[in-house]
Amino acid sequence: MRYKIGLAILMVLVGTSAFAHSKKEGMTPADGAVVETIPESIELRFNDGMRLTKVEMTHADTYAGPLEIGAQSGFVKEFSLPFVPMGPGVYQIEWRGLGSDGHPMNGTFSFEVK
Amino acid sequence: MPDVWELAAIATKFLLYLGVLTSGGLVLCHQAFPDQMSGLERFVRAWAAGFGALAVAMSVLAFSLRGGVLMDDVSGMTDPSILALLWETPPGDALLLRLLGLGVMLVGLAVGGLWLWVAAFGSALAIWSFCEIGHVASKDRLWFQAVLFTHLIVAAFWLGIFLPLQRLSRSSGTLAQAADLGHRFGQIASFTVPFLVVAGVIMTWRLVGSVSAMVGTSYGLMLLTKIGAVAVLLALGAFNKVRLVPALRDGDPTVGPRLAKSISLEWFCVWVILLATAIFTSVLAVPT
Repeated sequence: MRYKIGLAILMVLVGTSAFAHSKKEGMTPADGAVVETIPESIELRFNDGMRLTKVEMTHADTYAGPLEIGAQSGFVKEFSLPFVPMGPGVYQIEWRGLGSDGHPMNGTFSFEVK
Repeated sequence: MPDVWELAAIATKFLLYLGVLTSGGLVLCHQAFPDQMSGLERFVRAWAAGFGALAVAMSVLAFSLRGGVLMDDVSGMTDPSILALLWETPPGDALLLRLLGLGVMLVGLAVGGLWLWVAAFGSALAIWSFCEIGHVASKDRLWFQAVLFTHLIVAAFWLGIFLPLQRLSRSSGTLAQAADLGHRFGQIASFTVPFLVVAGVIMTWRLVGSVSAMVGTSYGLMLLTKIGAVAVLLALGAFNKVRLVPALRDGDPTVGPRLAKSISLEWFCVWVILLATAIFTSVLAVPT
């Protein structure tokens, strides 16, 4: 029991270690944003190198299709993908990619065009 | 709730861990206890080759599944461009090292005799491959990789004794040999198991980092599940060492089946440990 208490105290004192995969830093349009004009492109930014492997767009729950990710070389932190305008409504973007550490990553974000 | 890719990754990793550690452990135990395991070479070679083949299959499948995850489609599992992309990253390095190690181990097992030392080297290489990937793999963390390797090699050594000891303790004609093997293993394990525990504590401290993260995150809770199963395993191992094996050495013939049953419970604990490990290394984020 004393050993466990000692271990617990040690863990509290030492604090948190930093181990992280690539993380989503930001998207344009931002997640949850409401915009007046349809964007010409969407941008994805990460804190570490990434290779996108698949990006899909859903519009107003009526259309779903892939976004062109183009030819990629190496692992980069920023992506700008041409956007396919479908008119006003809610757009949801789902992305998948490979972090430079070999970890598959994925995420979604959405925005609304008035 | 994990999606189908995550469930597949968990199942594959569980079988991969089981395959690599059990096959490697069987070889290590056979080489560590040549007298106590005399007459078991064919048995060890057959089982180690079986678990080794399972490890090869799961290594390839686990790598291929990453391709499926990247494309969210089965086609990604065989897509050459996706697999080539993966090959350039740490999972590719780990797969190469793992297949090399398992290949060397299987060749050593196929030839037998002194080549079992070659098989032991191959199994160590396959075990090291786990240190080349994930949160422990970093150029400035060689010591951390060494800690994980120590943890895994001792775990493999422990798993490797189960099948031979269970087989010997189930037959009345080999109870004396089972007693000798159990006694000798107990002597070695009382020296090696503390290394497993200390290495586990160090990794827990480095990866989780705080008590609040231990009890307040899914990763920490899954790690606690593993630690609970390890505690039961340690208790069973201690019971075998201080009660069953000494009784077997005293010639009590009723102890053989009890020891075999106790080892079955140890197997169950190992499955829980490996499953928990497969879950938190596949789908749960390390607390930061």
